[in-house]
Amino acid sequence: MKVRVREIPERIFSYGVMLFTFLISIFPLVWVVVSSFKTNKEILSNPFSIPKTLDFQVYSDVFTQYNFLSYFKNSLIVAVTATLIAVFIYSLAGYIFGKFDFRGKNFLFVLCTITLLVPGYSRAQPIFALINKLGLYNTKTGLILVYTSFGMALALFILRLSFASIPRDFDEAAIIDGAGFWRIFWNVNLPLAKSGMVTAGVLMFIQAWNEYFYALVLTADEANRTLPVAVQFFNEAFSYNYTRLFAALTLVILPGIIIYLLVQEQVQNSVASSGVKG
Amino acid sequence: MKNKWVKLWIAAFLAPTIAVLCLFYLIPILTVLVTGFTDWNGMSKPVFVGFDNYVKLISYDNTFLISMKNLFLWSLIAATAHVGFGTLVAFVLYKKRFGWRLVRGAFMIPMVISSAAWAMIYNLIFNDEYGLINNGVRKLGFGNFHVSWFYESPAAFFAITLTWLFYAVYVTLIVYNDLMAIPKEVHEAALLDGASEWQVTRFINIPLVKNAIATGIILSVTARIAGFEEVALTSRGGPGNDTYNITLMLYDGIVNYQHGYANSAATIMILLGMLVMVIINRAFKMNERTY
Repeated sequence: MKVRVREIPERIFSYGVMLFTFLISIFPLVWVVVSSFKTNKEILSNPFSIPKTLDFQVYSDVFTQYNFLSYFKNSLIVAVTATLIAVFIYSLAGYIFGKFDFRGKNFLFVLCTITLLVPGYSRAQPIFALINKLGLYNTKTGLILVYTSFGMALALFILRLSFASIPRDFDEAAIIDGAGFWRIFWNVNLPLAKSGMVTAGVLMFIQAWNEYFYALVLTADEANRTLPVAVQFFNEAFSYNYTRLFAALTLVILPGIIIYLLVQEQVQNSVASSGVKG
Repeated sequence: MKNKWVKLWIAAFLAPTIAVLCLFYLIPILTVLVTGFTDWNGMSKPVFVGFDNYVKLISYDNTFLISMKNLFLWSLIAATAHVGFGTLVAFVLYKKRFGWRLVRGAFMIPMVISSAAWAMIYNLIFNDEYGLINNGVRKLGFGNFHVSWFYESPAAFFAITLTWLFYAVYVTLIVYNDLMAIPKEVHEAALLDGASEWQVTRFINIPLVKNAIATGIILSVTARIAGFEEVALTSRGGPGNDTYNITLMLYDGIVNYQHGYANSAATIMILLGMLVMVIINRAFKMNERTY
């Protein structure tokens, strides 16, 4: 029993830290969601109160007015396309880095991954100039190109490892069966690297879905604006209609949370492993 | 398959990645470093002006110096309190007390939502009229408590700090990963030798996650160098230029077509990023093996 008594302060401390961590992570979001169901008057009179009714009217208002649907579609198109392209081209490279040898391979890999250490926004002006020169200013294609470039280092880390861990016996068996280079990649290796591709894809989707700085710099009107940029305009557009402001914020944060909850383990593992190697 | 064909395939598979590397990384970084020494509006030909942009950064007004002061203070807070908290959470989770998975999962959520939305949420939390902080304090009995957090100095600095201070889940995950990699036998041997729980933590676990903590410091300070949303969407650098940072200066430079000037600020960002790497690597002797 003596040991148990000694453990008590430590337990209180541990649970205290856990509770604090949980609350600071969840409470702001719960507050936003709950507030979106309150009337303007309720929000102003007491920010801690619980809504009296569950009225979804405000959500359909936000969706039908203010072009919310258009922002949402832009975000979805940009994030999904960029993720698909990125996973594909970095899988090609990851396969080579994981399974083949050639002169300068290590140098090239280090060069690709060391880019992780250059502060992302420092390349803003040249990228702005490049997108302008390609005639892609204020287009979704421009944003897709930029977001495709984003996760390069991280994706290569993850994908090289996935491909390297696929036994070479499979390749040799396929060669004996007369399979060519592309078929060995596409039919033999790619299916086995799926979990790595999902991990990299999830990380890149979340990054692209949430990106703000380049979306702000590279788009000019609502036809091409994504949700994170739109957030800024909600503040003005919903002047003094706080219910709508909270509802709009809820709609912006929800997709990311849902996707995360679906693939929690993968996200956590990839953050941990990429951090160590980064 | 002939060897020549394999070589061609390898080149073809690498081509898109190499194109991205060149177009979005190598050429931009080179452009930044070179045009930082030019007067350039982004369209006409850049004119070489030596160190003029850098002189202008320091002497035009005090925005750059204030940005550097803010960066220094924020980096210090990030490297100590922020990384410290993330590490603490990792050590607590490592005990696998009831509910640890839920806490780890929840801690991750602020990282997966848009930091623009997160900044907006904090804007609302700190709102004087209907925000949580001020109303909470008023409910505690300080009926006259009114602070316009993002519009007053020095409140704005602290309010911005609070938008990221505790959200160190990547530090937690990296440190936790390293804790899990410590062989069980090490702990068993120490406990058999009569070491206390605290001694195990202090003399075995902390030294063995040293590299993870150093990585956490590098990542968190780098995040401060490139911080944008938490300032742009809350105080917008104000009041005055009290909470300005380099990214905001870079943004101003780009939208005002002072691209040479913007790139001199970007050069400073790159150099600072490298400096942080070198300092932390030295301080933690990261290249030495721990066990």
